[in-house]
Amino acid sequence: MRKIHYLLLLTTIIVLAVACTKKLEEEPYTVFSVDYYKTPGGFENGVNALYSGFRFIFGPEGAVGLGTVGTDEFTYAEQPRNGAGGTQDFLAMGRYTLDPAVGSILTPWNRSFNSINLANGLIEFEPEVNLPPSAKTTYLGEIRFMRAFYYLNLIQFFGAVPLDLGSGDLKFNQQPFQGFNRKDTVALLKSNYDAIIQDLDFATKNLPDRRPAGAFRLSKAVAYHMLAKAYIHRAYSFARQPDDFTKAYAAATEVINNQAKYGTALQTFYADVHRPRNDYNSEILWSIERIPGNLIANEISNPSGIGGNTKGVDAANDFCGDYTAVRAPLNSSTTVPVSTRTVLYGRPIRRFCPTPYIINNAFADRVNDSRYEGTFRTVYIASTTGGGFTASVDTAFVMALSNRIADSLNGVQPAGPRLKPYRVIAPREFYFSGGSIDPAVTRNMYPSISKYEDPDKIEANNQGTRPFVVAKLSETYLLAAEAALNSGNATAAMDLINVLKRRAVNRPELSESQRVARYDLIKLTSSSQVTLDFILDERTRELCGECSRWPDLAVRGKLVDRVKLYNTDGAPNVKDFHGRRPIPQSQLNNTVDPNPAQYQNPGY
Amino acid sequence: MVLLLTGVVNATQAQDLTIAGKVIGAGGVGLSSASVAVKGTQRGVTSSQDGVFSIKASDGETLMFSAVGYLPKEIKVTSSLTTLNVELQLRDQQLGEVVVVGYGTQRKRDVTGAVVSVKENELREVPVANLQQALQGRAAGLEVQRTSNQPGGGAQIRIRGIRSISGSNDPLLVLDGIPYEGTLNDINPDDVASVEILKDASATAIYGSRGANGVLLVTTKRGKAGEPRISYNGYYGVGQVANPFPVYSSTEYQAMRDISTWGQGYLPSEVSGRSKGQNTDWQDLMYENSMRTDHNLSVSGGSGGSNWMLGGGYYKETTVLPGEDFTRFTLRAAIDAKVGKRIKVGMTTLNNVSIANGSQFVSGSPLFRMMAMSPLVAPYDSLGNIVPTPWGNIDDINGSGRYSPLYLQTDDPEWVDRVRRLRTFNSLYGELDIIDGLKYRINAGFSYAQQHNAQFQPADIVGKPSFFRAAQGNIASVENGETWGYTVENLLVYDKTFKERHKVNFTGLYSIQENQSFSNYVQKDSIADNFVQFYNLSLSTPVNSNNTTLTGGESRWALISYMGRLNYGFDNKYLATLTYRRDGSSRLAKGNQWFDYWAASLGWNIADENFMKNIRQINTLKLRMSYGTTSNQAINPYQSLGLVNNSNGIGGNAGITRYNFGPTIVSGYNIITLPNPDLSWEFTNVTNVGVDFGIFNNRLTGTIEAYWAKTNDILYGINLPVTSGVAGSYLTNIGEMENNGIEFTLSSQIVRPKSPDGFSFGADLNLFYNNNKLLKLNGSITEQPGSQLFVGHSMTAIWDYKKLGIWQANEATEAARYGSLPGQIKLQDRSGGADGKPDGRITVADKYVWGDQDADLQGGLTLRMAYKGFDFSSVLYGRIGGYIISQIHQPFAAYLTVMDGRRNTLAVDYWTPTNPSNWFPMPQAQISPVSDAWPTLGYYEGSFVKLRSINLGYNFSKDWLKRISARSVRLYFTIDNAAVLFSPFFDQTGIDPEGTGTGSQGVSNPGNIRGGGNGSITIGLTTPPRRTFTFGANITL
Repeated sequence: MRKIHYLLLLTTIIVLAVACTKKLEEEPYTVFSVDYYKTPGGFENGVNALYSGFRFIFGPEGAVGLGTVGTDEFTYAEQPRNGAGGTQDFLAMGRYTLDPAVGSILTPWNRSFNSINLANGLIEFEPEVNLPPSAKTTYLGEIRFMRAFYYLNLIQFFGAVPLDLGSGDLKFNQQPFQGFNRKDTVALLKSNYDAIIQDLDFATKNLPDRRPAGAFRLSKAVAYHMLAKAYIHRAYSFARQPDDFTKAYAAATEVINNQAKYGTALQTFYADVHRPRNDYNSEILWSIERIPGNLIANEISNPSGIGGNTKGVDAANDFCGDYTAVRAPLNSSTTVPVSTRTVLYGRPIRRFCPTPYIINNAFADRVNDSRYEGTFRTVYIASTTGGGFTASVDTAFVMALSNRIADSLNGVQPAGPRLKPYRVIAPREFYFSGGSIDPAVTRNMYPSISKYEDPDKIEANNQGTRPFVVAKLSETYLLAAEAALNSGNATAAMDLINVLKRRAVNRPELSESQRVARYDLIKLTSSSQVTLDFILDERTRELCGECSRWPDLAVRGKLVDRVKLYNTDGAPNVKDFHGRRPIPQSQLNNTVDPNPAQYQNPGY
Repeated sequence: MVLLLTGVVNATQAQDLTIAGKVIGAGGVGLSSASVAVKGTQRGVTSSQDGVFSIKASDGETLMFSAVGYLPKEIKVTSSLTTLNVELQLRDQQLGEVVVVGYGTQRKRDVTGAVVSVKENELREVPVANLQQALQGRAAGLEVQRTSNQPGGGAQIRIRGIRSISGSNDPLLVLDGIPYEGTLNDINPDDVASVEILKDASATAIYGSRGANGVLLVTTKRGKAGEPRISYNGYYGVGQVANPFPVYSSTEYQAMRDISTWGQGYLPSEVSGRSKGQNTDWQDLMYENSMRTDHNLSVSGGSGGSNWMLGGGYYKETTVLPGEDFTRFTLRAAIDAKVGKRIKVGMTTLNNVSIANGSQFVSGSPLFRMMAMSPLVAPYDSLGNIVPTPWGNIDDINGSGRYSPLYLQTDDPEWVDRVRRLRTFNSLYGELDIIDGLKYRINAGFSYAQQHNAQFQPADIVGKPSFFRAAQGNIASVENGETWGYTVENLLVYDKTFKERHKVNFTGLYSIQENQSFSNYVQKDSIADNFVQFYNLSLSTPVNSNNTTLTGGESRWALISYMGRLNYGFDNKYLATLTYRRDGSSRLAKGNQWFDYWAASLGWNIADENFMKNIRQINTLKLRMSYGTTSNQAINPYQSLGLVNNSNGIGGNAGITRYNFGPTIVSGYNIITLPNPDLSWEFTNVTNVGVDFGIFNNRLTGTIEAYWAKTNDILYGINLPVTSGVAGSYLTNIGEMENNGIEFTLSSQIVRPKSPDGFSFGADLNLFYNNNKLLKLNGSITEQPGSQLFVGHSMTAIWDYKKLGIWQANEATEAARYGSLPGQIKLQDRSGGADGKPDGRITVADKYVWGDQDADLQGGLTLRMAYKGFDFSSVLYGRIGGYIISQIHQPFAAYLTVMDGRRNTLAVDYWTPTNPSNWFPMPQAQISPVSDAWPTLGYYEGSFVKLRSINLGYNFSKDWLKRISARSVRLYFTIDNAAVLFSPFFDQTGIDPEGTGTGSQGVSNPGNIRGGGNGSITIGLTTPPRRTFTFGANITL
């Protein structure tokens, strides 16, 4: 009996001990390693992730603010707060009291290097991936374009950034690297541009000529466009090469002169370029994609949230003035006919408002040149019924094109009865100064960018859900003109700009002869009219509100000049060193170095 | 049945007397389960939980009283004896008590490690929903900090501080001897017989790789020999908000709004309210009474060495806000059976189902509105209808949080917010006496848990506003997760005393534990109609936004262990324990899986030495010392592998990386973490010295304990700079941390009862502190603000600007140098210059560690009094020192102190030219030119003393008991969360100095609050704590 007990005991222990050592091996069902990228599906999903990463950089509020506030075009509006940091980020940006801890500078910084590293990895894994060579070539073109574009976007804000993430220049990094390879910023910026241009050059040779008609995959057209842009940016930097402008001109005109080949053409009417539901028009070379109204596909978990951890298009609301507070038909009325927010007009979040430069300078001619009306919303329809207004039917108020028109309709000049049942607000009443409050007249209403209006989003407060334009043919013309001017061919520059002027006068209601007559009033007649400042003005007319003004000025060394000239909020404080944004404090906090401060941009 | 009959037969014999009374043990408390028998007969009873007994006997017979750990006592029955209170003396002074230790039990006098017991009767002194609340302030070295006000909510439990940066610092939970993967919330407090807290390496080393955080051994009740008995314990309580949040009245609101930058005037509804003198108190309108009720019924008995117990419980709690409640059903059974002479088998099964409503999205949802909505707007219109959007500004009226919270009260709730958990925990054992002193035991445990989370938020329909989905359609989700695990332990125990002086005990173990869990989640919007809820997600309308979100996950781990422990005692005076354990874990990379642990300890019962015999005042004196190594399982399954996945970090219903090319939706995979094959555990070496004493006839007993713990190879999640190309943190074993502290426990019987009904008064006090200090991070790095780690400081260090106050009018010139105006926050300019001196600017160089959240001293005090049938007790809990992080005071975390005039605000004292407050800045566009100055408004002194509960009970007399043939009946009344006796924060618009959660709870994260599992304890805007008035009964039949 006793022996049996021992035997049982011994058997139990031995059986358990032998059977169990295998239990210590991990065999996860749901966890992937980097080897996944070596499979065809994994490789493709890696490329998709690179595309998707740009959604953080084009649309969300942090990036919009970074590219917009504190320029000649825009200052901060009445609610200069940023959702992510909860701080008055845009006030600090607009007044140039920006410090490295401000959250809004984080968006491009935090959202680029992981994609760059993934791109490095995909390039290294490509030989092992079992895909047809032609498919791999196209993917490589896309990968290298995107790596270059992540870099180009970063350096226009921050100056030189690391090419070596811990395992060597442009190498895939899997080391827990705590350093920050940004010591010799002069040499590094040169390497940055070299890498960008090599990648883009590769892209111009290996991408398909044109994008699909109803989608935005990368194509040669946008590669040439971006290559021209990279050369121009470099030409203004201390990394410049003598033939940068020449090469920029060649790249840009390659697209302009072969529009049929590259599948691109200007729209007849400027207002159509950014018109909702016309997102895939021929003028757009590349947009960061979204599907209108589809929150899940757009990776939007909190559609009415602002900024922070989001991939929605906050730009759709950020530029909105407070149309919900405007009284009509008179300023003294008690009726507020658009008091309910509408999906189309968006959430009047009042982050950014135009400076007087918009009305007085860039869009001084708002009648012959259709681009003001193609950029800003001028007519608001009532959204609530009452006080003589019927919702969705009656015009509630208009932001008049000129004081003269307003005075005439209001019966001021010539004196007489009001000619319209709605309110006509004259430009002189617009609200333009940063952060101030206008309780009386327009109640924080100012001309609001209409380029991101999205009738397909679900709720007025939601972020926009349309593709975000990154490159369009009209800008290719401007890049070509700028390159021509700087290569000593001002006449070619003038001709290129006049193409855009000619298009700018087009309005559907005008006859061809009326259009020509207007063109004669606004076209350039002498090549001496083309200067860098003129090109910058023209860029405002074509690209206003497209979130690249700040780098456009900064890389051209024009930021301080033009802020002092046109932006009263930024003028007192702006200094030369502000041409670079500060390296975010979190980056320096996480860098293991006795003196992380040495990596900061000068002045901060 | 047989037993019952025996009782009946016995009762028919000639016992003419009924003697009732109470068995009293150490500290003057009633001794439960004491045996009362009539000498020379089969008759016997056991005392109730309060020590009450009642027995029939004849004149001249002798009653024998005995209890585990106490000296037996005999009392002769006389005809005049009807009431009898018997006080038993502790055997072997106090050290005869038996305590549960890892893989066994030990006489307390033989224990050489640091072990504290909290017994059933102490746990019952505060009626609580869960064990962690019952343990708060009850044992030295055990820190229980509340982290939730939700019903069934949790707490952070730390034994002697924390030692891991990234891994769990929760103690290992062992239930009836088997490691338990559930939480304390899954255990019905009424089922618990005792909780032992193992604190030093000598006590915990037998749990090896899981011992470093301390161990909580929970032992549940089992049947005891004797006639079957039925026990009922239950209560019903009604509660109210202990303290509402102080916000501005309508007059104060207008004053703030008028001085702020608000330029849009008052809305018509406010203008009309103002003319009528409206002052809506939204909190008052919303708060309801809370309710709490608990009912436990058990039957137990035993004879012939076999005992059994069956029991069931029901607990329900509601809060002061609609839609939040918690219900728990429990069912348990325990059997111990003797098979022949050598074999003993038994099993325990503990089962519970809990249902928490409102814990996912309902909870707390109305709070912001209750604080921020305009007090000038009337809650109801002239027809008595709810005013739908009672805000003071157009933005909120248009916003997604637009609706009045009063809809929550009136709505027949169409929403569903339910978490249902089922957990069954079963253990079996078999014990075989092989030869004298040698035993083999097998323990097998199996647990299975299932959790089901259901959510449904109805659509906003014209005429039927949806509080949760303003201007949106409905949305539903279901999540199902399950975890199963088993443990098998083979134990060999040899226990023998040689030559009456050498006491030897050897315990050997081989065990394996395995655990696996997985879950699936699905979410869908545009459900065809609200009544479908989440029950069939395919019944949905095809619209553009109609999308399905799916997530899932799996994880598995296994642990294989060998253990040996040798206890040796010489002459009961000199004691030694040696422990060894070897653990192999699946969580580590291959080749790196096995580690060894050692511990040794010595004990010396000084009072037993001859030279002490003459010192009569000292009854007990014991010195203990131990040293050993343990670690904690701070690495999650699969963490050593590099991860690639499709998560975009956005979370919610859009947490998957996607993209589209035109209408074609594709998914994207990103690199999430780097591979890490070198990961290993964090090892803690602990030295412990303790003294146990009992003086003045054991009227004062206690323990003083000191320890020094150093943790090496701390896993440190380096926040890599994003330029490394891999976002997120990277774990490495590089850190070092130290914890040391002193613990003091005193149990006193100040007034011993002179007669059975006499007055008694006793007090238990525990006081302790723990100093936590990070010694090393990575090489020469002393600061890692990105991870809130600062060498030389506590893990709870607060690194920020130091707010000096508010710039006053007479400081305008100095303020201007910092770009500030009077009325803005004044920060300390501490550094930044070339020589580290103040540089006249406020920059990041001015942030430093100026405090932490650790208490300098904390503890609890329990007072007990009894007189005749009455008993009274109260429990105090206090913390002195440390800071609180109140996110409700951080303007951009809770948006309750932004003071931009848009919304009502916590009633803080702000600066104005005529009110030189140094607390809050003037309501204006910029509260400081420093963009991240706002978190400094959320730091407050953390000291507090709370009167947690007051209890008054009455034990019915035996005459009355006889009439209803009950063994004992006690009725009691309790007030819990009774009062905050001291708290500076309480005086500064804080409603409770205890935390409401961990990590940043704000809309905006201040950036210096540690998140994750070891998150800083913070105060956010959640359902406020209740003060509950409870009536209860303990009945034994």
